[in-house]
Amino acid sequence: MNKRLMLSLAFAAGIGSMIGFFNPVPAQARIKLATLPDREAVVVRFDNPNVVMVEEERTISLQKGVNNVDFSWAGTQIDKGSIVFRPADAAAKVEILSTSYPPGEAALTWQISAAEAMSVKFRLSYLMANIQRETDYRMLVSKDEQTCSFKHYFKIRNWSGGRFATADFVTRDGKKFEKGLENGEAKRVLVNTWDKVKLTKEYVYDITRNGEGKVMTDYVLKNAKEIGLGAIPLEYGKVRIYQDDGNGTTAFTGEDWGRFTPIGDDMRLNIGIAQDIKIEMKKMVNDVQNRRGNVYDTDEVDEYEIKNFKDTDAVVTLVLRVDGEWEMKADTSGHESFERIDNETIKFKVKAPAKGTPVKLKFHYQKKNVW
Amino acid sequence: MNRYTFGIAALLMLTALSPALMAKEELVTLPKRDKVQLTIYNSVDLTLVRETRSLTFKKGNNRLQFSWAGTLIDPTSVEFKAVTGADKLDVLDTSYPAESNQMLIWTIAAEADLSANVEISYFTSGISWAAEYHGMLAADDSSMTLTAYVTVMNNSGEEYEDAQVRLVIGSINLVETIAGLAGGQRTARMEEAYGEMRKAGRAADSSRKEIVKEGLSEYYIYTVGGTETIPNGWAKRLQSFEQAGVPVRSVYTWDPAKYGAQLARILTFKNDEAHKLGKEPLPSGIVRFYRNAGAGRLGYVGAISTNYIAKNDEIKVNAGADPEVTMKVTRTQLKKENLSFAFNGRQQYLQGWDTYETFKLELRNFRDRAVDFEINLVFGGDFDFESELASNKVDFRTQRFALKLDKSGKQEVVYKVRTRFGTNAKK
Amino acid sequence: MRLTLAILALLVAVPLAAKEELVTLPGRDSVQLTIYNSEDLTLVRERRTLSFKQGSNRLQFSWANTLIDPTSVELQPVGDTAKAAIEIADTSYPAESHEMLIWTVSCKTAGAHVVEISYFTSGISWQAEYTGVVNANEDSMTLTAYVTVTNRSGEEYENAQVRLVVGTINLVEKIVNLATPRPQSQPRPSREDQRGARDMDRMAEKGGPGMGGGGGMVKPKEIIKGGLSEYYIYTVEGQETIPDQWSKRLRSFEVAGVPLKTVYRLEPAKFGPAFTKVLEFKNDEEHKLGKEPLPDGLIRLYKDQGMGRLGYMGALASKYIPKKDEVKINVGPDAECTLAIKRLSIKKKDLGFRNNWLIGWTTVEQFELEVKNFRGRAVEVEIHRTMAGDFDFESPDKFELHDAATRKVAFRLDANSARKLSYTVTTRLGENARK
Repeated sequence: MNKRLMLSLAFAAGIGSMIGFFNPVPAQARIKLATLPDREAVVVRFDNPNVVMVEEERTISLQKGVNNVDFSWAGTQIDKGSIVFRPADAAAKVEILSTSYPPGEAALTWQISAAEAMSVKFRLSYLMANIQRETDYRMLVSKDEQTCSFKHYFKIRNWSGGRFATADFVTRDGKKFEKGLENGEAKRVLVNTWDKVKLTKEYVYDITRNGEGKVMTDYVLKNAKEIGLGAIPLEYGKVRIYQDDGNGTTAFTGEDWGRFTPIGDDMRLNIGIAQDIKIEMKKMVNDVQNRRGNVYDTDEVDEYEIKNFKDTDAVVTLVLRVDGEWEMKADTSGHESFERIDNETIKFKVKAPAKGTPVKLKFHYQKKNVW
Repeated sequence: MNRYTFGIAALLMLTALSPALMAKEELVTLPKRDKVQLTIYNSVDLTLVRETRSLTFKKGNNRLQFSWAGTLIDPTSVEFKAVTGADKLDVLDTSYPAESNQMLIWTIAAEADLSANVEISYFTSGISWAAEYHGMLAADDSSMTLTAYVTVMNNSGEEYEDAQVRLVIGSINLVETIAGLAGGQRTARMEEAYGEMRKAGRAADSSRKEIVKEGLSEYYIYTVGGTETIPNGWAKRLQSFEQAGVPVRSVYTWDPAKYGAQLARILTFKNDEAHKLGKEPLPSGIVRFYRNAGAGRLGYVGAISTNYIAKNDEIKVNAGADPEVTMKVTRTQLKKENLSFAFNGRQQYLQGWDTYETFKLELRNFRDRAVDFEINLVFGGDFDFESELASNKVDFRTQRFALKLDKSGKQEVVYKVRTRFGTNAKK
Repeated sequence: MRLTLAILALLVAVPLAAKEELVTLPGRDSVQLTIYNSEDLTLVRERRTLSFKQGSNRLQFSWANTLIDPTSVELQPVGDTAKAAIEIADTSYPAESHEMLIWTVSCKTAGAHVVEISYFTSGISWQAEYTGVVNANEDSMTLTAYVTVTNRSGEEYENAQVRLVVGTINLVEKIVNLATPRPQSQPRPSREDQRGARDMDRMAEKGGPGMGGGGGMVKPKEIIKGGLSEYYIYTVEGQETIPDQWSKRLRSFEVAGVPLKTVYRLEPAKFGPAFTKVLEFKNDEEHKLGKEPLPDGLIRLYKDQGMGRLGYMGALASKYIPKKDEVKINVGPDAECTLAIKRLSIKKKDLGFRNNWLIGWTTVEQFELEVKNFRGRAVEVEIHRTMAGDFDFESPDKFELHDAATRKVAFRLDANSARKLSYTVTTRLGENARK
């Protein structure tokens, strides 16, 4: 170990990594010592959802024959098995002969052979721990709730132990921005803005989403070109929703986690509770029928009274669930349409007139072969 | 009162960046905010603060530092927006330096030297508001004067002078609490201030100001006319509206699931035009009822904390039992019939039977005016119900009588219940 | 160096406990390491030229602070003249030391003779690793295989010929345990392994060229692969020095343009409950591979992001892949190609009763599978469904029999499209079941 000449220690450049030369084997003493090459063209990639990959370029002056190049990364967490080291120009007349790992050190040595003395640009890629990323969105909804402007922000925080004097940060969708980032620093950047995005508003009653039976207000955005999105898959992130209040300012109207939404899929955002729509459920019939031993059927009528106290009519979606084998009876009434989502789930759309006039959804079903 | 560096005192500095990167920073401390608007939510601990200032930018990159040590600001919510000159200003990034987690720096590119009005907005916790109502009932309980108040409580650690105050009514969805994001525990000083506020709150002055009510999406926004100054630790109550002559109905109600095992006097009115209301929903809050006891003296009737009452929706207030209106139930008959038996190989045993029960309900009104009753009867199992007085089926196990008794009136209602048990039951 | 070999010159001839003069000998002429990766085992063979006097010679070999198995140490003459001249009379293990032995060698002709000392040590290991750089279309990759040799044996082997054994051998005792000094000798391990390894050496020696690179460009060392019985031997060209506690990575091979297939699979038995993306290739000639088995090791996949820039896809620990066998790398679920399963209905029929009690029934369940491809290119999909009990499976979607309980269907899904499949499972339960 004492044979290693750690020339590079004086230059704690970049993110704490360094490349230097040393001369481990007396037989190959013809290698001249070179100065530490600076990092060039650093790229930090966030295209993998779980890990962060750093790629940097270094120009190394090589002597003819075998060169030993040392790389160390004390103070930062680099997954050394992930290191990929290769000349930027695949046709360069160099060969990487071997990689040696000294004990107990965040370092390695490449043995590089060169056909002649030359400067070669190398690319070095590795996975680096403790660089966090976060996506968030701001949605500004028009007064009439027909459209919105949708802003996409990307935030990175650097806990890696090193600093990036300047680097290209690349998001999952390939958006690139050049920034410097100190250790411990976080930076938030607006990466995309989409204006005049059409949105759909839905009132949803779903006891699994709100145990008190309150009606939820959802905005649904289709990640598609026809509504003004669809350029990239939307990352998971918090969406804060503001609305134009018609007085030249805006009001915050709620927030939700937006799930990862591929192109063509829907992002559903709950903004809050629709307080002006009330739904009350009563079981009007609950009879046992067709008893056979320990097996029977049931006949049930659930009545949902919907009151819309708003000044305008509304369509309310009721998501209802019945377990086991069952079928809906033909005299179910009060809905505009229904859809049996799966065996357990049925979705009704009910038109609720304005100003509190009650409307009733009568849901009549028979459970079969219960025991 | 201004104990914390926040809002007005929030450190806002503009740094000019000369073309050479990281040149000497020129630090410009900025003037006070010109305007401040508070939008206060009541369903969650959240206030949106929006302040406007006039700033001078130099051509090129400008660094604007904003810090909020010791406050309850959510750092993820802080936003910069140019109100004028927006087309010449561009926020390049927002940096959260390592050394401070209560500070950020905007890098703003200006196309030219210019002066612009900018708006800085952020979320804070610690300011809240609540609605309160007073119902002054007429001596005969047939009508009331309803007064609505809103009380704004400032526990944020900062005095807001001359702020425009907006109150949001509605349950917005918040996936993380603002206090949590602010990373701030309430400090002891804030707790102390909160205590002071509670002491001072009721005594705070109430000036008569117009409150403009507007709907927005699923919410309502109340905008208090003019500006308000609410010192830290204080609460301020403002009258939202007052309406005289609101008709009120009293219904003596038997509904154990809702009101317990007593005949409760339920005061009912509607938030609609027929009741001289209905201009806006009534936010959740405490409704206190008083009765005019004559000669300008008041009697306390009761209080209830209500949920949000939409326009045209009904409100029911439980004013408790009334010894002058009574109900009594007795079972006058019980018999069992239709017994059926099975043989298990050794002996016979009972497997099904029906019960027949007769009940007598006695209602009495000792008051000097007519009263309304609503009696809800709940049964279990597979039953048939039969009565001399017409009833309504509320749901599969509940029957309801609605009737009226004149002053000093009394009435008996007889009803019969047949219940099938064991193998006789269909249900 | 902790291993020492000494010749004990006998000063006083006749009395038994005579004084001995210790002569430490010069280093090894050559050393060969045969490293196994299935066991913590390395066979070391070293050659030394020793001067023997006529008559009885005593050779002391000691190995304090190393991980050598004392029961494995052997001495053999090398070459016909040496074989004719010397003979090992006995091997003694002195009581005072557990890390030393003495050979008594009788010599007919005095002079320098070449001997080979061989022994097993633990603490040296090797591990395969792979890097795959996948192209943008995910239909081809450049596969680079590496071997990393790690030396924790306590001994530095300078300029050693390194050979790596791929395959699982049988060891009845751990070398590391045998290396630990113990007062009482344990039953000896079979020498079969050692003999077998020696045979392998001979085979592999055929392809062992010397140190490359006189003038000009030095190429990466070639790693010559040869098969032996159930094993494979990789011989690293030339010599390597691996100091104690160091490890060294060498390239085993690099192949560009290996055809790659991407299949989205729902195959719980192999890949877990999620609908997952699987990259597939075969270790055969068609895939420009198949020259040798691929030892087990971590495969790291990178994606070519254009201009030679790399993105990280994922890593997978792969098992030993024989020649011609296929490799399936599960890179995890892809949010842009999804599968949803719904049970549309359940119906019960054929209810059977005994004494008014249900004893048998049959359920009929309808399922719908929807696969959505949000990607801008067509994808291959394979779906397995496993049922339980006595069931019938019906579908209009050409499911095939995979095994008694499993049906499968495979299809291609165009870019930005979705496909629904349906099937019905009828299950006979209770006394209706025939199985």
